[in-house]
Amino acid sequence: MPIFKNMKFEWFVASRYLRSRRKQSFISIISIISIGGVALGVATVILVIAVLDGVEQGLKERFLSNEAHVVLRLLDHSFFGNYQNRIQQIEALDDVVAASPVILAQTGVFREHTGTIQDVIIIKGIDPAQENKVTGFSALVQGSTDLLNSELIERARFIRDETITGGIILGSRLAGRFGIIEGDVLRLLVKLQQHPIDASLLIPDLANFVVIGFYESEIEAYDNNFGFIHIDAAQKLYNKKNLVNSIFVRLTNAELAARTARKIEDTINFSVLEGIPDARTWMEVHAPLFSALRLEKIATVIIETLIILVASFNIASTLIMTVMEKTKDVGTLRTLGSSRGNIMRIFMIQGSVIGILGIMLGTSLGLIICWLLSWNAVRPSYWYALVLIVPVFLQILIASQRAIRNKGGWKFAVGVLWLIGGGFALYCAVRPVSFVDLGLSQIYQMHLMPIKVNWVFVIFINALSLAICWLATLYPAWQAANLKPVEALQHE
Amino acid sequence: MTNSKKTLIRIVDLHKSYYDGEAELPVLQGLNLEVNASELLAVIGASGVGKSTLLHIIGTLDRPSAGSVLYNDQDIFNLPDTELARFRNQEIGFVFQFHHLLPEFTALENVAMAALITATSDKTVYKEAEALLDYVGLAERGAHYPSQLSGGERQRVAIARALINKPKVVLADEPTGNLDRRSSEAILKLLWDLNAKSGQTFVIVTHNQEIAQQVDRVVELVDGKVVL
Repeated sequence: MPIFKNMKFEWFVASRYLRSRRKQSFISIISIISIGGVALGVATVILVIAVLDGVEQGLKERFLSNEAHVVLRLLDHSFFGNYQNRIQQIEALDDVVAASPVILAQTGVFREHTGTIQDVIIIKGIDPAQENKVTGFSALVQGSTDLLNSELIERARFIRDETITGGIILGSRLAGRFGIIEGDVLRLLVKLQQHPIDASLLIPDLANFVVIGFYESEIEAYDNNFGFIHIDAAQKLYNKKNLVNSIFVRLTNAELAARTARKIEDTINFSVLEGIPDARTWMEVHAPLFSALRLEKIATVIIETLIILVASFNIASTLIMTVMEKTKDVGTLRTLGSSRGNIMRIFMIQGSVIGILGIMLGTSLGLIICWLLSWNAVRPSYWYALVLIVPVFLQILIASQRAIRNKGGWKFAVGVLWLIGGGFALYCAVRPVSFVDLGLSQIYQMHLMPIKVNWVFVIFINALSLAICWLATLYPAWQAANLKPVEALQHE
Repeated sequence: MTNSKKTLIRIVDLHKSYYDGEAELPVLQGLNLEVNASELLAVIGASGVGKSTLLHIIGTLDRPSAGSVLYNDQDIFNLPDTELARFRNQEIGFVFQFHHLLPEFTALENVAMAALITATSDKTVYKEAEALLDYVGLAERGAHYPSQLSGGERQRVAIARALINKPKVVLADEPTGNLDRRSSEAILKLLWDLNAKSGQTFVIVTHNQEIAQQVDRVVELVDGKVVL
């Protein structure tokens, strides 16, 4: 097998051809350019995918710290009873950590000073202890989570001459919008009642809640729309004793949501009168976002693969040039008894070395930039940047002076590479890339560049690039191997 | 001297034509030649008569259009390409008019090259290469690159290179064609000495009458055939 054959001779010749004509330099300028091309492609794909993965993970973390993995409702969102039993049944399933009863409803906020209902908020009636097991809810609350017996509620009941139904935890942005502070009373329009005399009139039924805490999840959809009240209060409010309209479920592993959701639908019986159960996973809820991200990732991988492909053309053309330049040498080597296989392997090794060096360089470059960006998360001072820029500047100075003195083009190229790399590092250092710049911060409040290096993907892209570069060597190497010895010898 | 030797190479009815589009340009036309072992044979003839082509075919660098070349009664062109390369590597040494040294490699590496293709131990190969360089009088120049050597020195390196695998046959194509008189004489002396010492077979293509007078046997090529 040619692959297992001792390739000492081929390596010996190929390594010499990688070098420049000037004996003092390690590698020829054209090889450096080819290596740079591959490196750039590999580095960008690693970086871009790390950012996209970071965004996806950031979003997932935010969603999962706020949300249940599975939400069981009826298709028409109507109320159902017997929920304690059903929760027990759900909790008995594999992979289920906890389930909690929830009433989800929308309600208007009555503003006394304007006498209007300007905002509709989503009310989530919860059992705080159970809910905590499902969504880790209390970790995101500033203030009390005792929705029934908080000190603030007692005080309000004592001070105010009106019925206080209970406590409410308001989304932080919502509270900010309303200018509400802890202890304030919020009037919710719960339902409309018929006027006792004139049946055609409907009068609003208001309920008063004391704001006992604020909820900050860093997801705009929650912070700007949600209010949490106790499930008992909600049941009383909506006149739904012993009924709920949702069961929130937490699993041992969020990725199991789809499977478990189907299992819940199958296990929990609802009568025909109650309705059709519909268990939705967090992935289904955010499907459009995640599928957009996935699409973006696929597109990125395709584009970056094309970049690597272009870089591999660079390798091919480098090799074709080398073959042309070395035609006479190929003739000589054939005269000395090298087989076609020997010749083919010499040029394939040469191309593969360029590819491997480029891939290694690109991988390190990509990972270093990833590291720089995540390191940037701590927002380094300008001094830090100075520490970076001084050696870079010195390197450029030394390289350019040497380049002028020795006419060593490759040193100049190294200098330019330093300039680009250093400039980028500097840019990162003095101007932290934040989510404000990316426009995501408004909605998802990620303030830092999220970076997640997926090692499996890094290995995959390494293998893919290697394969592409290797394929790029085939044609030139084949061309060299099939040169006719006599014609090659006479080549000028 | 020649009569007692056994035949090493037998060339039978050799034809070789080149094609320029449709036009056939016959070079060798039914050439027959026998080369004896340890013989010092010169091939002379007008330029363009096919001397080099003959040498290339004997050296397996080119394939004949028809006819056969037998080494010890074995038709070498029946061998597959890889084995042909191996045969060339082991049994044939080339010396060309132009040295054809590899510019990226030192004199020593150039000498060692043919042996390195199949070598298991580089150390032994380099030792032999050093001995050969010493033999051609260039022991001190092993680390020099071809561009740092004179024309005569390069040609001596090329001769040393041809000998590294102790080939049975050394094929030389105008080995002194590109050298001044003094260098030529040194090269020729080297070749005669080699032949006397090693008993290797030499086929030298030349139109240098001086060479022709110093060899065992001279054949002349006329119209793609051998005339004596």
